[in-house]
Amino acid sequence: MGMKTTNLVSKYHIFFFVILIFLIAFPFVADSRTLTILFTQIFIFAILAMSYDLLLGYTGIVSFGHAMFFGIGAYATAILLNTFEPTIGVFIGSMIVGILLSAIVSFFVGLLTLRLKSHFFAMLTLAISGLLLVVAEKWRTVTKGNDGFTFRAPDIFKDRIVFYFCVLACLVIVFLLLRRFVASPLGKVLIAVRENEQRTRSLGFKTLHYKVISSVVAGVVASLAGSLYAVSLRFVNTSVMTMDITLDALLMTIIGGVGTLVGPIVGSVVIEFAQHYLSGLAREFPIFERWIIFFGIIYILAVVFFPKGIVGSIQMQISKWKSKKEVRKTFALPEDKERAS
Amino acid sequence: MDLIISLVINGLATGMLIFLLAAGLTLIFGLMDVLNFAHGGLFVWGAYTGVFTYTLTESFLIGIVAAILTGMILGFLMEKLIITPVYGNHVQQILITLGSMLVLQEMIKVAFGPNAIPVSVPDYLAGSWELGEVILIKYRLFIIIVGLIVFGIFHYILTRTKIGLIVRAGVMNKEMVQALGINIKKVFLFVFMTGAALAAIGGMLMAPYSGSIYAEMGMEFAILGFIVVVIGGMGSFSGSLFAAVLVGLAGSFMAYYVPSLSLAVNMILMAIVLIFRPQGLFKMAKG
Repeated sequence: MGMKTTNLVSKYHIFFFVILIFLIAFPFVADSRTLTILFTQIFIFAILAMSYDLLLGYTGIVSFGHAMFFGIGAYATAILLNTFEPTIGVFIGSMIVGILLSAIVSFFVGLLTLRLKSHFFAMLTLAISGLLLVVAEKWRTVTKGNDGFTFRAPDIFKDRIVFYFCVLACLVIVFLLLRRFVASPLGKVLIAVRENEQRTRSLGFKTLHYKVISSVVAGVVASLAGSLYAVSLRFVNTSVMTMDITLDALLMTIIGGVGTLVGPIVGSVVIEFAQHYLSGLAREFPIFERWIIFFGIIYILAVVFFPKGIVGSIQMQISKWKSKKEVRKTFALPEDKERAS
Repeated sequence: MDLIISLVINGLATGMLIFLLAAGLTLIFGLMDVLNFAHGGLFVWGAYTGVFTYTLTESFLIGIVAAILTGMILGFLMEKLIITPVYGNHVQQILITLGSMLVLQEMIKVAFGPNAIPVSVPDYLAGSWELGEVILIKYRLFIIIVGLIVFGIFHYILTRTKIGLIVRAGVMNKEMVQALGINIKKVFLFVFMTGAALAAIGGMLMAPYSGSIYAEMGMEFAILGFIVVVIGGMGSFSGSLFAAVLVGLAGSFMAYYVPSLSLAVNMILMAIVLIFRPQGLFKMAKG
């Protein structure tokens, strides 16, 4: 058995490695500006969706206010780059400022909201992020409200390929760190909270503390995604804090597979590509003018055919197939033995 | 004083409209525990088909009937095709109902065009009475009365009749009710259809009040509906009515006295209520 698992892990490693090499080689092989930008967008939303999955998939809480951390990161970067010189140092500083702010906000919001039961928690996070959105809309001297403002990104990011690699690096680092995080003893407690909060509490864990930690980590990662998003557009307005961003993260997570870190990445790929190509089709064929209908149908079909999300369904299929193989090995039928020899 | 009376009436009328919208959600989300994000879609479809029939026949009443029928048909289709497979699973409910919402909203644009449609108040409800300095707009009073009637009917059915008893029992323990020989699936279908019809009525009555209807209004009002159901306490009609009136009054007073905060007033209200009374203002009807 031991041999088998190590064998399997390395198989996964090879798989990831191949994809990584493909992504690194991609901008050099395919000389397409649109696709490079689309991939950058996918990476950014994959980071956001992974952070959301930490809440939804690993801790089992539905938040409707995740966009506020994305927005905090985006505004921190945009405002600092606008006020100071657009250098790489200021950019990194603004990321850190966004992360710190998100950590503080998510800590207090978590303490305030996480005591509530599921629906009420979801609604309270919606209310708080709604308030923050109103603040962003009204505080026009700083945020310029709904009109937003453009700013200069650091010169090095003017090259789309450099920025592509920066975001890719962020995605890989965040993925590895989060994978480490969910596999840690802390992550195991979070999964226990998801499975049965009462039982976890009676085992002596202060579940509120763990839930707050989870929401702080998720908020910090979302803020990072927001910083990158602002730089990718070189523009920011209040749309970065709206419910739409939260819903996007939510849908990517569910479509890809809740409770897996690869799932949100797959979901982000699927949704961004579908959006890109369906809206592209709309320009060519008038039937696709209302392409959002097809988008809605994709969601409905996803629930019908992939109730556990794409990655979750594939995993289930593999484990089913593996256990079948296991049974065959243990209770090998004579004809199988013959076939083997 | 006159100003305050005017503000109160405005607030009450808006509150009643919100209540009509939230009443359907009280059934679907509050009682049946379905996170129905497509509720706004039902609302918009009610408004559009109602207004369409209303302009065609020039009878407001037939318009309302058309809205109710649309709501029931859509409710029937949704429950059978979309909701039945995902009862009890919130994550899948969010995804599938958001998908339905997108489909419903875009189908409006296919069927009725993407532009906003102006709607006028029927003649016999247009105009206003003047009592001294206070101006009573007839349509607002009409909405308040309809809201009270709907509340009365549903509160009575849910708390005093056998059907209400079965619904409440079915929500608490589906298998038990089934074991007693009641087809709970049919009951749930019926409850969902009623909730959808209520949403459609809300949409239809909303149309002359706001003066025009557009496809995107569904999602905005659906969020308002969710807020009201949560503030009021899940599944309680009295709670929803109280919360809706509270939201309406707060909105009307804030818009006059502190206009800069009027955008945030619903969110502030919800945050305050949930922080101090996490279970909502009224206790759940499920007990």
